[in-house]
Amino acid sequence: MQWTEKHRPKSLHEIKDQDEAILKIKNFIGTFYLGKLTKTPRKALVLHGPPGIGKTTLAHVIAKEENLEIFELNASDLRNKLKLKEILRPAIEQKSLIRKGKIILVDEVDGISAVDRGGLMELLSLITLTNYPIIITANNIWAPKLSGLRKKSELVRLKEINYNSIKDVMINVLRKENNFINNNFLTKIAINAKGDLRSAINDLQTASITKDPSSNLVDERNKETDIFNALKLVFKGKPTNETLSIYDSVKMPIDEIILWVEENIPAEYQRRELKRAYDLLSKVDIFRKRIYRQQYWRFLVYENILLSYGVSSSKKDVKPGFTSYKKPTRILKIWMNNQKTFKKKSIAKKYARKVHVGEKRIMSEFPIIRNILKNPEVRRELRLSDEEINYLDKPI
Amino acid sequence: MESEIWTEKFRPSRFSDVVGQEEIIKRVEALTNSLNIPHFLFAGPAGTGKSTLALIIVKELFKENWKENYLELNASDERGIQIVREKVKNFARTKSLGSVPFKVIFLDEADALTPEAQQALRRTMENYSATCRFILSVNYSSKVIDPIQSRCVLFRFKILEKKDIERVIKKIAETENLTIDQNSIEALYEGSEGDCRRCINLIQSTASISPDINSELISTILSSSKPKDIKIILDYALSGDFQKSREKLLDVMLKESISGEDIIKAIQKEIWNLPVEPELKVKLTEKTGETEFRIVEGSDPFIQLQSLIASFVLAGIGK
Repeated sequence: MQWTEKHRPKSLHEIKDQDEAILKIKNFIGTFYLGKLTKTPRKALVLHGPPGIGKTTLAHVIAKEENLEIFELNASDLRNKLKLKEILRPAIEQKSLIRKGKIILVDEVDGISAVDRGGLMELLSLITLTNYPIIITANNIWAPKLSGLRKKSELVRLKEINYNSIKDVMINVLRKENNFINNNFLTKIAINAKGDLRSAINDLQTASITKDPSSNLVDERNKETDIFNALKLVFKGKPTNETLSIYDSVKMPIDEIILWVEENIPAEYQRRELKRAYDLLSKVDIFRKRIYRQQYWRFLVYENILLSYGVSSSKKDVKPGFTSYKKPTRILKIWMNNQKTFKKKSIAKKYARKVHVGEKRIMSEFPIIRNILKNPEVRRELRLSDEEINYLDKPI
Repeated sequence: MESEIWTEKFRPSRFSDVVGQEEIIKRVEALTNSLNIPHFLFAGPAGTGKSTLALIIVKELFKENWKENYLELNASDERGIQIVREKVKNFARTKSLGSVPFKVIFLDEADALTPEAQQALRRTMENYSATCRFILSVNYSSKVIDPIQSRCVLFRFKILEKKDIERVIKKIAETENLTIDQNSIEALYEGSEGDCRRCINLIQSTASISPDINSELISTILSSSKPKDIKIILDYALSGDFQKSREKLLDVMLKESISGEDIIKAIQKEIWNLPVEPELKVKLTEKTGETEFRIVEGSDPFIQLQSLIASFVLAGIGK
């Protein structure tokens, strides 16, 4: 059995990091059933956020706690209008036999194709007609096709799961499974998951079966061979017309290739070469911003040429010998730093709101403000949590 | 309840309490008294009274109901223009309370929005012009697209003069029973760089150590707030060690949450403390200027700064 199913949370206290969302959902259901539907209440609530953070689970658990029956639909049910009508209408019009309240759960609404607008239109009209609250889950609520839905629903964003919480859940699962995996590898899985708890549990299960921590990283490895070869040709070889298409075989978005080049220039180039290569990379970055700003995609040509032929031509002679290129570490470092500065950010947020200033500015002024935050009255005023206070009391 | 954060405690709540910006205050007060204000665009450096003035306007307009009729957003904190629009929409949907027929939305750091996002904002301003007034606050009015500028009354806030900052310092010293000598006032003014909020934070931060404020204490606090280790980054670079230099750079940027633009400012200042020939200082400054320009133009400040370090490495070798 899939661990993701077997260990799916069954009560609210098992759910990590989503307190704010839980409150909003309960409120939504509460006001719906209060019957005080005087004005125009929202009849649907959209839970949105990246995959694997517990959108569907949360809906189920809350239904259970509130003693409500759940009526679930998924993307394939919504695919055609007739079927949707057939399934959903009776559920909406019929009062449940045992007089239990109901929630209608429409899972993964992103799955409705933009072409088949019928399904979406039907869903919208059902929102107007329903006697029961509708909960909808979506990965990307800002997709243009969902604009109608956005207007009709209350939006609640679920957060990515914190890296430490992911690790806690994994340790718990392993304990229940009577299994053991070394701590380093758990950390690796948790970091790799980038907030997606489901994928972390899947990786965990795979690792527990194969007992080979690296086996589930095979895909990742194939990708790396491609980029290693490309870097070798760019950095070591003479630029030729083939160099221009060197990154075509690398199955990676260009932004990621830029990071690889950035990381490895100094492994191969020194002095004048180093400067020239970074100067080109700097121009690549400027073209990238221009594409983004003006949506003028032809600039991509220049990005590509500078990044391949340009960087390759920054050296005088070919570079013999073997160089071991490194995986880009910057994104990981940024991510790990975010985990570390998590508390600082939440403090800055509370403070920023109080003093009518942006969070980013407060973050950069933190050294001065730190002293002010020693004052217990200020701490009370900002309603700092015990954890936040602990963070402030720790020596820097 | 009165706040124990001094920037709040000593924030003026009436027009007559504001220091500096006399001309602006006079005109804004007159408009507010007429109970009908236009959209405002407040442009000027940090800590010169833009947010304060917005707060006074709404307090004067709505009296005790001001909180219900006022929405404060920070463009650099909200994720994307959609969020801004969504919040504005929700807020503007209901009618204002009391006798004033509109609500007020304060959008701080509006120059953080891209030109496209500003276009979207412009439409939002139009859609809700019957029920809402906008006050936009920016550092540079040139970063605001013309159609928005033309819909707003523009006020340029000047950096606060020494006498204004001095007034604030003395008021705080008196209320909080602090002793501050003239030397310390100079040090506070220097450290504040004309930013009143920064100045008050400096005072409170220093006072948390001792109510007897002296310039030494102030400079200790100040040095803790400067980006550290910029010199180390440059020393590594000039001695030819690119790898260590960039490692340190990333470390400083992450640990102290410093933006690329603040790093480049610090580098520009640090160049003058380097033990190198005048000619080289000029060359490095020129490079630094070019990099600052590219940071503004590009998307990834760290790539731009690496490129600058690479130039420093090369310059160091020729030294």
